[in-house]
Amino acid sequence: MAATESPERRSMGDRVYDAIFTNRLWRSIFRSGYPNTPRNQMLAVATNVFLHLHPTRIHRTHVKITHTFCLGGLSFFLFLGLTISGVLLMFYYVPSVERAYEDILALETDVRFGQLMRNMHRWMAHGMVLTVLMHMMRVFYTGAYKPPREFNWVVGVVLLVLTLLLSFTGYLLPWDQLALWAITVGTNMVGSAPLLGEPNRFVLVGGFQVGQAALIRFYTLHVIGLPLMAAVFMTVHFWRIRRDGGLARPL
Amino acid sequence: MAAANTQPVAASRAVEARKRRQREEELLVWPDLVFIEFISAVLFTVLTVALAVLVDAILLDRANPAVTPNPSKAPWYFLNLQELLLHMHPALAGVIVPTVALIALGAIPYWDNTAEGQGEWLSTPRAWLNTYVGAGVGSVGTLLLILFDDAQHAKIWEKLTGTDWPIPALRNLRAIQNEIPWPKSWLKVPLGDKVLRTDLLGLPKISLNINIPGLIVEQIIPLSTMVGLPILLSIVAWKTKIAQTKRDHMILQFSGFIAVYVTLTIIGTYVRGEGLALVPYTIFAGDH
Repeated sequence: MAATESPERRSMGDRVYDAIFTNRLWRSIFRSGYPNTPRNQMLAVATNVFLHLHPTRIHRTHVKITHTFCLGGLSFFLFLGLTISGVLLMFYYVPSVERAYEDILALETDVRFGQLMRNMHRWMAHGMVLTVLMHMMRVFYTGAYKPPREFNWVVGVVLLVLTLLLSFTGYLLPWDQLALWAITVGTNMVGSAPLLGEPNRFVLVGGFQVGQAALIRFYTLHVIGLPLMAAVFMTVHFWRIRRDGGLARPL
Repeated sequence: MAAANTQPVAASRAVEARKRRQREEELLVWPDLVFIEFISAVLFTVLTVALAVLVDAILLDRANPAVTPNPSKAPWYFLNLQELLLHMHPALAGVIVPTVALIALGAIPYWDNTAEGQGEWLSTPRAWLNTYVGAGVGSVGTLLLILFDDAQHAKIWEKLTGTDWPIPALRNLRAIQNEIPWPKSWLKVPLGDKVLRTDLLGLPKISLNINIPGLIVEQIIPLSTMVGLPILLSIVAWKTKIAQTKRDHMILQFSGFIAVYVTLTIIGTYVRGEGLALVPYTIFAGDH
């Protein structure tokens, strides 16, 4: 037997590698092998439900950090982080005028990592408003809104509005003086619209002033209504990036 | 030899070569992009956790409808609108301006549908110049308008000369309404309830009375300022050859808009204190 065809001893590393990456369990989860060859690397992206948002290949310039500063991706990342920390906060929070403020106090004093969760949720929320605004500026200054990407820019403007509304509805939930009066000032602005302002404000607040009805409305919008809408528009947004030919490139 | 290749011979070698060159310019998403995303996600998780450990989210006293804090402020990203509210009719500042601004924002690509300057930062010839001009005029102009409405010019005059400001009607915007002897009949021009047919929508009837000086001060002047100044900026930039193409004007106006938005937000956040007077303010100072 020729020595080149089959070496007598395979190295320890090779055997461990095979045991991990070529067994039936691995293959049942990931259809492709470990992504260490171009073929498997493309399959890793194309056959993974999360990664297949991406194309398998991308232009060299789009990987440069300064081209996008990752701003769109960061907005999405913050949205995911807000969802996770938000779910954890929901365990401890009851949207009632009697309990809401006490629940926040309890979160800060009695719940392990409660204060940390609340802080993270708050800072990520502010961060997301900032990254979405900066993402819009990035897209504008790189001229990435131009045809055929016009409609995706419009979807982006809708997502900006949804981000602001998500932050605004969350602002009321701690039920402290800051929350109550910020929402009072904000909803009064809606009320100042000609003709339909006052009826709209009434529907939003569920009464003449910000109270229990407003709290439950804002809570429901904040934890389910607006996130679902944002998710739908994000789906369209990401889908259209691919359909419109990926990131904009110079002519 | 490659047998049984039934494909027709490529029409042009140049096309083939271009395709090959494009392929060479491409990277694989795994690992080149996925790793950047991963590192950036890790970095921002660490940053957020660090921020959350170091700085606590604010929590004031329990909500009390009976105690109105002074000042009462909207969330920071709406403080630009709240700032506008101080200078014009609430319907204009709180609803019409943001609605029109959002529609105009969404309409940008339908307006500027030229293909130049895509995919690179500010790549058209006068892009940076227009960014600077738009941002400069937007921020300085907003600042000057706010200082005017706060009667700063009159206050400075009084401090320097020791005499009263000579043109009381130009003390600030509201003075135009209060200091000019408008004819009495202009203060209440009845239009009856036949102009706004709110009854057709099932809403209460509205008897419209127009206060002409009020209309001028709260609506006409702010509206013509907000529409007129950007148009004037574009005309001047066009005549001076600063902005020559659609994209130039777009960058000029967008930069101006962002600058106005940021300036209004900063002033609304940090320089509006008790009674929303123009004084330094921070929410973290007293009551936290």
